[in-house]
Amino acid sequence: MLPITSHAVCADARDSLHIADDYLARVIAGEEYLVFDGAMGTMLQAAGLEAGELPELLCLTSPDEVTAIHRAYVEAGSQAVTTNTFGANARKLGDAASVREVFAAAVSCVRAAGARYVAADIGPTGALLAPLGTMSFDEAYDLFAEQVRAAVEAGADIILIETMADLLETKAAVLAAKENSRLPVFATMTFGEDGRTFLGTSPRIAALTLSSLGVQALGVNCSLGPDDLRPLVDEMLEVATCPVMVQANAGLPHVEGGRTVFSVSADAYAESVAGMVEAGVRIVGGCCGTNPAYIANVADIVRDKRPVRSFARPLCSVTSAQEAVVLEGRHVATIGERINPTGKKRLKEALRSGDSDYIINEAIAQTEAGADILDVNAGLPEIDEAAVLVDLVGKIQGVSGLPLQIDSSDPVAVEAAVRAYAGKPIINSVNGKQESLQTVLPIAKHYGCAVVGLTLDEGGIPPTAEERFAIAERIVQAAEEAGIPRQDVLIDCLVMAASTNQSEVVEILRAITLVKERLGVRTVLGVSNVSFGLPLREVVNATFLASAFAAGLDMPILNPLSERYREVVDSWRVLCGQDVGAMRYIEGYADKKIASATAKAASGAPAGEGGAPTACEDGLRHFVITGRRAAAGAEVERMLDAGESAMAVIDGHLIPALDEVGKRFEAGTFFLPQLMASAEAAKAGFDVIRSRSTGEAVADKGSVAVATVKGDIHDIGKNIVRMLLENYGYTVYDLGRDVEPQAVIDCVKEHGIKLVGLSALMTTTVRGMEDTIALLREQAPDTKVFVGGAVLTPEYAQMVGADYYAKDAAEGARICAEVLG
Amino acid sequence: MPTYRVDKAEALRYLGYAGQKTDDLLDERIDELIAACERDSAPAFVYRIFPVDASSGAIRLVGSSLVLEGSAIYEHLREARSCAVMAVTLGLANERATLRMKAKSALDAAVFGAAGSSLVECAADACEAAIVAEAAQRGLHTNWRFSPGYGDLPLDVQPAIVRTLEADKKLGMTATDSNLLIPVKSVTAFVGLFDELREHTKRSCAGCACASHCSLRKAGTPCYR
Repeated sequence: MLPITSHAVCADARDSLHIADDYLARVIAGEEYLVFDGAMGTMLQAAGLEAGELPELLCLTSPDEVTAIHRAYVEAGSQAVTTNTFGANARKLGDAASVREVFAAAVSCVRAAGARYVAADIGPTGALLAPLGTMSFDEAYDLFAEQVRAAVEAGADIILIETMADLLETKAAVLAAKENSRLPVFATMTFGEDGRTFLGTSPRIAALTLSSLGVQALGVNCSLGPDDLRPLVDEMLEVATCPVMVQANAGLPHVEGGRTVFSVSADAYAESVAGMVEAGVRIVGGCCGTNPAYIANVADIVRDKRPVRSFARPLCSVTSAQEAVVLEGRHVATIGERINPTGKKRLKEALRSGDSDYIINEAIAQTEAGADILDVNAGLPEIDEAAVLVDLVGKIQGVSGLPLQIDSSDPVAVEAAVRAYAGKPIINSVNGKQESLQTVLPIAKHYGCAVVGLTLDEGGIPPTAEERFAIAERIVQAAEEAGIPRQDVLIDCLVMAASTNQSEVVEILRAITLVKERLGVRTVLGVSNVSFGLPLREVVNATFLASAFAAGLDMPILNPLSERYREVVDSWRVLCGQDVGAMRYIEGYADKKIASATAKAASGAPAGEGGAPTACEDGLRHFVITGRRAAAGAEVERMLDAGESAMAVIDGHLIPALDEVGKRFEAGTFFLPQLMASAEAAKAGFDVIRSRSTGEAVADKGSVAVATVKGDIHDIGKNIVRMLLENYGYTVYDLGRDVEPQAVIDCVKEHGIKLVGLSALMTTTVRGMEDTIALLREQAPDTKVFVGGAVLTPEYAQMVGADYYAKDAAEGARICAEVLG
Repeated sequence: MPTYRVDKAEALRYLGYAGQKTDDLLDERIDELIAACERDSAPAFVYRIFPVDASSGAIRLVGSSLVLEGSAIYEHLREARSCAVMAVTLGLANERATLRMKAKSALDAAVFGAAGSSLVECAADACEAAIVAEAAQRGLHTNWRFSPGYGDLPLDVQPAIVRTLEADKKLGMTATDSNLLIPVKSVTAFVGLFDELREHTKRSCAGCACASHCSLRKAGTPCYR
């Protein structure tokens, strides 16, 4: 787990940045231009560097050659020169050299060349971060922190983070720089022809996020030629609240007579850069394919000039790696409320048992229903909230592109979650109490978050609009004093139930208007509480939401799956001018009718599933065998309504149907997708039984842990096994992929598990299986192990020490029956 | 820009299909997942050609830091004049979609994954075709594409391939600490370029570590084309 120390408190140190001289200070303030250098790799390759070699080692082995390249740039007019340390992290250097010695040598090379400023270069780690990759945020942070410390020690003037494609990795590097140095931090990312990074981040998202994180300059490098970069740069200039930096490629490379040549000449390059400078770019240089000739031209453009434009004003924005929600004018955004255990039995269960798939599916459903932002709350007293929240935030970011609102009353959990969040999240929440202001605002500032301010304080929630406004005013003031722009403060005037605090409802609406008009900040509101204790709550909620929009509400927190809410939001967006020309409304509603209460009667098998059983057939059995999920669920519902017991449905219908499917699979008359479709249909039936059971009905046949072993990321087979075992009534603890042996042992011990299933796809990763089994034998000798995976054979399984070999998922189920009964 | 399409028959074969009778419901779902796979993928490739130096008993690619060890790759390239190193991927959008599928449905994830395997083969074919075309321009002939993990060429050459081709910068491809590629739907390979036309230009099961128990091989439908 994360070593959770409050990094936010060290934010103070950043107030006194160590800036090399007054000129650089003016550059950071946007009052001067700065010329960087051009390509290093291109120059080294021209001098004979082999593809795939570590160019950073040349700082140690051929410092004179490296210095000569730097000197050529200095002579061409580069004020800031970049160290040859792009890949100089511990992971890439391995045993070849230490990070410290490479940085020391690299900084010396730049100094020896006579550069005015030494920019310590930090490139990507070379590994992809979780959830798509396997590297953790902390591992990336540690690699960067080591580089930053080495750069400081070697006497660099600027930390330059560049050629980043992953916003989360960029954030790890920026935080490492902020927390381990007082040097100015410049951060640039690389984009493809589609205007996005490989992980889907747009220049606008990058600029919004990095501005909030408090870098001293941000921008684009590498990517494309300067003309193709122009629209991307313009996107950044529109929202960046600090200097924008551009280091473009000299166009596209092609091979001419055995030499790599770039398509944009030094003159053409300069012409494009001149246009960008005109548009507001303040820091210029070059990337792949550029050389001192290009830089000499670029230096000419800004010589004796000073910038005239001012930075963009801060916007009310929230970002993920793929989406930015920016509120302008009367635009509204909805925040999905469903990932919050308060009053939700199934979600509480999921949080306690670590069933993150359930929670992830809540995120997917809300995303598909059109939410703009998702609230994530894991507040249950009996769990490690910080750990669970960090885990959930990572997993949700893997499946939903929406920005998140981190919802917790525990500052430790909040800090842990916003730290490892890809983008600029909302913190929910701070309030008017001194203690809250003092703990939460520094976190929001340090990590560049927006923050919800609740209008309550030591005296509780005041009843009148004026008193709520007064608290809001204090929160906004405290935020600004902490260095958070008021655009990042969202005031929640706190809804009370109309059934208990009827007179306050209109006060809340009035408070929203006061806050909007007098403080000029945005507002959020948890809408649904207003109807507590009343019948047909959705009707009350919808009426209240419409009035709140009229009063000036910007971001309702609501259930996006509720159609009534969606109707209010979608129609309001027409009325407030957000849905220009009512295009989206017309597209979504042109064919809809107001549903009458009777029209929603029992639907049975939904359209498209067809295939009704003949009268004499067992309907449920048929639906399971043919893989009809909705029909199977509905049929179980009907059987239970008709008085059949849960056990009778399971033992008399579901299990026999699954056995039949298993036989057909064994005989080859069913292939894998058919087996799985049946398993899904049966699961729909089990889910109905579980949701209607009071606890005793579904017999637990025992627990199994499954994992794809350390080193392997191919988990589709393991997922299929899990699905089948769940259907047969086993409780399955799915530990995921790339699982440490110790994590398997911990799970076995915690839940008293007697059977473990391990998967590995590659011959090379079977070793992870062997290690896990060895550790199990040592620490949990009673536990049996079955293994499976493409390269395994019965002999191989025996060799790695497994008790059983499962050639497929169906065999896995048979092994479970043998071991657990 | 070539069009990349999932070969449905191939994707089904990866899922163990051998002529079983299926119904429209499942068939439509498979078609939708194949369409999703084509939509959520951004197939791309890079390759570079290096002279081969086989004089030391291992294959050295001149002008790169790549040294390929093992008798199978030696056999594959020892008579080659040069070697094309290729990297192909469906991109991180496919990887993200896969994560979403896994959370929603194991069945969808399995079908989506099989479709992706077919699609990345299609993209690898396109890359190989580009290599063949460039070879032809130079009057050279190619053999088949040999991937790490096949025969005795270890997977630990993957990080060096990524570095040599700058596949991280150009394709968003990275290797994990255990030398697996991310995006998972990625292929790297070596294609030899020869002065003479090769007799055996096709891959076979003979050098594969899985040959003895591979179900695709048993069914007479090997995993390569």
